[in-house]
Amino acid sequence: MSDKQNDPFDELMRRALHEEADRIEPSDALPEIRARAHAQRPAARRPWLMTAGLAAVGTAAAIGAFTMLNGADDTANDGDEVAGPGTTVTATGAPQSQAPSVLPASPEPSAAPTQPPSTSPSAMTAGPTDRGVTEPPVKSAVVPVYWLGQQVGAREKSAVRLYRTWAKVSGRPAEQAVRIMTSKQPNDPDYYSVWRGAALNTVTRSDGVVTVDFKELPKATLDSKLARLATQQLVYTVQGALQDNQTPVQVTQAGRSVQKLFGQVDASAPLGRAQAAEVQALVWIDSPTEDQAVEPKLTVQGVAAAYEATVNYQVTNLKTRETRKSFANTKEGQKFSSYSFQLTLSPGPWQLSVYLVSPEDGRVTDTDTKSILVK
Amino acid sequence: MRRLFVAQPAVVYEECVTHESSWDADEALTAVYTAHYTSLVRLGALLLRDTGAAEEIVQDAFVAMHGRWNRLRDPHKALAYLRTAVVNRCRSRQRHLVVVDKHTPKSLPDEPSAEQAVLRTAETDRVIEAMRTLPEKQRTVMVLRYYGDLSEAEIADTMGISRGSVKSHAARASKSLRQLLEQTV
Repeated sequence: MSDKQNDPFDELMRRALHEEADRIEPSDALPEIRARAHAQRPAARRPWLMTAGLAAVGTAAAIGAFTMLNGADDTANDGDEVAGPGTTVTATGAPQSQAPSVLPASPEPSAAPTQPPSTSPSAMTAGPTDRGVTEPPVKSAVVPVYWLGQQVGAREKSAVRLYRTWAKVSGRPAEQAVRIMTSKQPNDPDYYSVWRGAALNTVTRSDGVVTVDFKELPKATLDSKLARLATQQLVYTVQGALQDNQTPVQVTQAGRSVQKLFGQVDASAPLGRAQAAEVQALVWIDSPTEDQAVEPKLTVQGVAAAYEATVNYQVTNLKTRETRKSFANTKEGQKFSSYSFQLTLSPGPWQLSVYLVSPEDGRVTDTDTKSILVK
Repeated sequence: MRRLFVAQPAVVYEECVTHESSWDADEALTAVYTAHYTSLVRLGALLLRDTGAAEEIVQDAFVAMHGRWNRLRDPHKALAYLRTAVVNRCRSRQRHLVVVDKHTPKSLPDEPSAEQAVLRTAETDRVIEAMRTLPEKQRTVMVLRYYGDLSEAEIADTMGISRGSVKSHAARASKSLRQLLEQTV
């Protein structure tokens, strides 16, 4: 654009933007970038990106693949209204990167014997010296995997919540889910896992307890809130894959009990599931999913725990800037409950944002956003 | 007041390096960082008016670039990749702020601090204020054009839109800005 140097407008723009830019002197970040590149550690949380890829939704039916494991807990799926198998969910398939078709399920020789899929729940009751039985491998299942992510409008900077993605797995669902949680990068760059570096051995079930045995556990010491949430990340992921919200999770290392997780959480006894209200993100969109191509008439579905059951939304056409705002209600207020609303949009790229607003001061406290393409 | 009134050379997103194809990811990271980190942060800060957020976004982009160096294998490609990553991330953040903006009393990080505002010349102040009124795409095009000194084709590639769209965004933005600025010039 040097041929337009003479236009005073171009000159002014160039001068002003450079002047504005040149006032910024970033401090050296190379060491940090290098360290992160080598650790392939997840990025620092940036709440405004929190949303993309939150719910890569899989076939709900597939999750029922091994209900036989559940026994009496059959009705307890991944959190009542928490968009588990019982909630209406559009099947769009898990994203490729989240769906490793072959993950080496590598039980050590010491692992408990595999039960054939025909085993009845009662046969799984293990003797006192037994570490329990592994789940039967399945050809294909869709499991929820939980991640940590920052709460957008929280007053404390460190407010972290559990966010969920879905992953298509084959093999033993709970083991695969934990392997993804401990070794894979979530689709959304704003989700992360402090379990990186942990190496799973087996997930076994015996009477009244699920044992997750690690070859190696994360060595980091975290602050107590984060440590507690990270522990729940494991509990939610394991219980989600097993479709059992009741049975507590015992963490062991090489078969031995563990004193502290992340230097904070007492793990010598089995860990129970924390209330969703304390740990789960307060709003997300299950459908549509990020970058999904949709018909002009679409239904938006998700889960929220909203004050007075009010979930606000805004859709913006990214080309024309046409914007619509309204709100929908969750089935019940104050607790996790599903919401849905219908939109009729003109063709083109749209940004859909769903958000909760603080009753105190009107701040946006939580949000989820999807980019969609209307056909 | 550092360098405030000194004319700056245009940022040129090209570089001349030798033997770069044999670089490993670390060497590439260091070289591309040294040449472009500052200008990418500045680019992000112009788009977001939030230097801290721009730094985070650019750092993320560099981490990602390091991870895919085997596929990029070329500092020019690496730079194009970084630029696209930074612009995309800044844009999605801005879109998010559109929602937040409406519900948050003016305490957003993109508000210039009093100190910064004082440091600005009146002229720059007018331009920056006028830029704020533009829709996000138009503003991005203008920043890439006048700060990044990118060609239409490069802007189109970076933003993932057609050259025709770049043209029309630029035309509309120029028209609005000229009007706004003439009122005050």
